[in-house]
This record gives sequence, structure tokens and C-alpha cells, in this order.
Amino acid sequence: MTHQHIERCATCGAEWAGYRETWQSLGDLPEVEVPAALKARFLASVGELDAPVVQFKRPAESRPHTRWLAQAAAAVIIAGGSYWIGHRAIPIQIAPSPATVNAPYSIAESRVLTASAISPDIEGRPDIQNVSFLDSNANNDDVGLSFDITSHVTVHGRATDKSMVRLMRYVLENEAHTPGRSRAIDWVKTTYSRPGNGNLEIADALATVLRNDSHEGVRIKAVETLNRMPGSVSSDTREALIQALKSDPNPAVRIKAVEALANLARSGATFDSATVDTLRQKAVQGDENVYVRVKAAEALSSIHP
Amino acid sequence: MKHLSDQELMRIVQAGDFSPASEIYDRYSSRIYNFAYRFLKNSEAAEDATQEVFVKMLKHANQFHGDAKLSTWLFSITANWCRDYLRKSDNKAKEAEDVLVTLPAPAEYSPERTLEQRENAKRIQKALTALTPEQREAILLSRYQGLSYAEIAQISGCSEGAVKTRVFRAMETLKKALTGKERGGDRCLTAM
Repeated sequence: MTHQHIERCATCGAEWAGYRETWQSLGDLPEVEVPAALKARFLASVGELDAPVVQFKRPAESRPHTRWLAQAAAAVIIAGGSYWIGHRAIPIQIAPSPATVNAPYSIAESRVLTASAISPDIEGRPDIQNVSFLDSNANNDDVGLSFDITSHVTVHGRATDKSMVRLMRYVLENEAHTPGRSRAIDWVKTTYSRPGNGNLEIADALATVLRNDSHEGVRIKAVETLNRMPGSVSSDTREALIQALKSDPNPAVRIKAVEALANLARSGATFDSATVDTLRQKAVQGDENVYVRVKAAEALSSIHP
Repeated sequence: MKHLSDQELMRIVQAGDFSPASEIYDRYSSRIYNFAYRFLKNSEAAEDATQEVFVKMLKHANQFHGDAKLSTWLFSITANWCRDYLRKSDNKAKEAEDVLVTLPAPAEYSPERTLEQRENAKRIQKALTALTPEQREAILLSRYQGLSYAEIAQISGCSEGAVKTRVFRAMETLKKALTGKERGGDRCLTAM
């Protein structure tokens, strides 16, 4: 309507033409060249900066000095593997440096590795700290894992890259602190429950957490995540769910475990007789949580329609 | 790192790894520098602005939210820096003293065309100087950076309506300065 009016009205048409002419003439202001030295000046200042506070940073804790000495003496190696173009194994060593607990790391101590370029075999039990997770987005399937060993390392690649899976498994099984394990599981849930990202090794690591973790919140998250990746549950993982249903002291864990088993049954998984027996017992166990009993019965009905 | 998106690069920075700094600088330094230069009309200040914007980007990386556009965030930092610069009375005197150092004209341009372009550039820069800082900020972000009114509102800390008003007022002033045409005395009273 506005355009129709401008076409008909001489006054407004002239006004409009003036604005258009002005807008176009502003394009005659050329781009100014950025002085080349400015980049060098900026990059030089980067080395002097402290890194920002890392997301999910674990609170610093005092550690025995001897442990650091031992660690410094040990070569922390993510070994083996080779670069794409190499034909012989070149170990990717993350060499020890005389780091101290509170020493800020600089850009010189940071390295970025591509998951497909490093070996999936993790040698020894490196003590990793300050683990953070970099999510993928809609445009790119790459994910990343950042952590401190003796330098700050970021590994990025597809979630299904074997090295990425092994690193994630390592974090799940070795993260010493409850909040860290909890965040790791949250990230796994988001990343590995996506279609095509389900992974048996990750599921097995979650099963290990379910079996061994002393914190019920972490165990609940582990089962919830397993429930989101039914296609990746091995017999060993299923056994961990059965054990949780049978004997986990926390009813919320047992509820989540029986839900996961019911979900597996619905998805057509075949259960052995011992599993069926456990579900049957749970369905009729008088002192069990009512919801657990109902879900156990539901799982049984899915097995025997 | 060229294949990584802005958000991916920033996530690496947020994890404490500054290795994407160079790539991010390459992507945005020209836009940031040109915005600051046109805003302040001072190449030395534009250099300082560019340097500080990228340093702040690294130092305060965790303030960047992944759902925002990196360009919008960087322009917010730049605009703040420029406003602070202009607030300092000492710096006002330095305005408009700078000499335009522009990219060389394309080889196919005749000397007359090149000269004409330079004259035009001077006229435009002078016209931009006549705007209030708020109007200049709005028109620079809109005309030269192609940002939406919503993005400019976010950067300038005002409403979209205020941005539209600033751009309109700026265009009125620029029209007068660049085309010699003032708003017509005979106002059209037709409801559109």
C-alpha cells in the first residue's frame, strides 16, 4: 500500500527518491584497510592473557606434592596411532611439564588435537583435570572434549570417532568428583542419544557407573541415559540394569532401571529366563515400591504379549 | 580452523584454549576496524578499539552465549568502546583530523574517477560527522554492516523503535548534506 502511494504521489515519490539516492551514495565510502601490524600486536597480547574461567571448572584442591612429582616423572601418554598421512605409528605424547596445581596455563601450553588423528588407546591412567565438553550444533556433528593433563588439551571430532568415545569412556569411569561425573553423563545423554550416535562402549561405561558409583544421583542419571540409547545396550549393560533393579538401595534408581528394562522389552529385546524371573519377582514383591512393581509387570507383558 | 563455525571457535576459547584467536580476528577485524574508524574518524583510536575488542572477546569469552551471533556481540563491545572514547572530552578534539587511508582504487578506474571517489568519500565522512553519535552508530551498523534493527537495538541498548527513529533522523540529515534536498515543504497529508 505504501509503495502504491509512493508511485502515485509526486511529493512522496520525490522524498523517497531522495532517501534512496542518499542510501546508495553512502556506498561510495570505501573500506579502510586494517593496518597489517595490528594483527601481530593483537596476537602478541594473546600470549599474555590468562585463560577465561573454564566452564564446568572443578574447584581446585590441594594434592600431595609427591603425587605431582610422580606424575611429572611418568610420561602421560595418549599413545600410538598415526596422523592421517603417516603409515607408521607415531605416538601422540602429551609430555609432562613442570606444572603446579595453581599455575595458569598459557596458549603455549595448549594444544588442539583431532580425534581421528590420535590413537584410541589410552596408556596408563592419566590424571585429567578441568574437563569440559563442547557440544555439536545443527551445522556440524563435531564435538569436543577439553581437559588439563600437564598441558591444556582440546580434542575435537565426531562423537562416534573411536578416540572420542574412548576419551569419553575414560572420563565417565575415572572422573573422581561427583559433580564432574554428573556433568559428563549430562553431556553423554545429549550427545550419544542422538540418532546414529548410540554407542556400545559408552553404554558399557554408563553400566560401570551404575554398578559402582556411590552417589545415587549419578546412578539415576546413568540409568536415564541408558534408557535413551536402547539400541546400544549389550547383554552386560542389561545385566547391570537387572542388578540395579534387584539390589540398588535407592528406589529411584530401581524405578529408572525397571523403566529402562520395560523400554527394552517394548523395543523387542529378548530377555533370558533369569531376567524374566527377576521381573516376575519384582512385580509381586510386596515390600517393593508400587511403581517398580507396575513397571516390572508392564515389562513382562511386553515380553509375553 | 577455517571449517569451524563462530560458535565452535568460541566454545574452544571458552574452554580456555586461545588458539582460535587468529581465525576469529581474520573473520571480523576488517568489519570492526572499519566500524570504529568511521565512528571515530581516527585511525589510531580505531586500532586501539580493534585491539581491545579482540582482547576483551578472549578475556570475557564466557559472557558470550552460543545462541547469539558473534558479530552482534563483537559490535556491542566495539560500540561501547567507541562511546567511552567519545565521552572523554580530550578525544573529541581529535575527531575529524584524521586523513582517510583507503584501499587503493581498482586499476581499471580512471584518475578522474578515482579523484571523484575520494571527493565523495570525504563528503560522506563529513556528513557522517554531522550526525549525533547515536545516529552515526545506527546508520553505520545498518548501512555498512547490514545488521537488522533488532540487532542494532541489542548493541545500542535501546528499543527497535528508537533505532528506526535514529536511522530516519540520520537519513534526513545525510540527504540534506549529500543531495542538497531538504524535506519538502509541501507535506503529503494522504494517509498511507
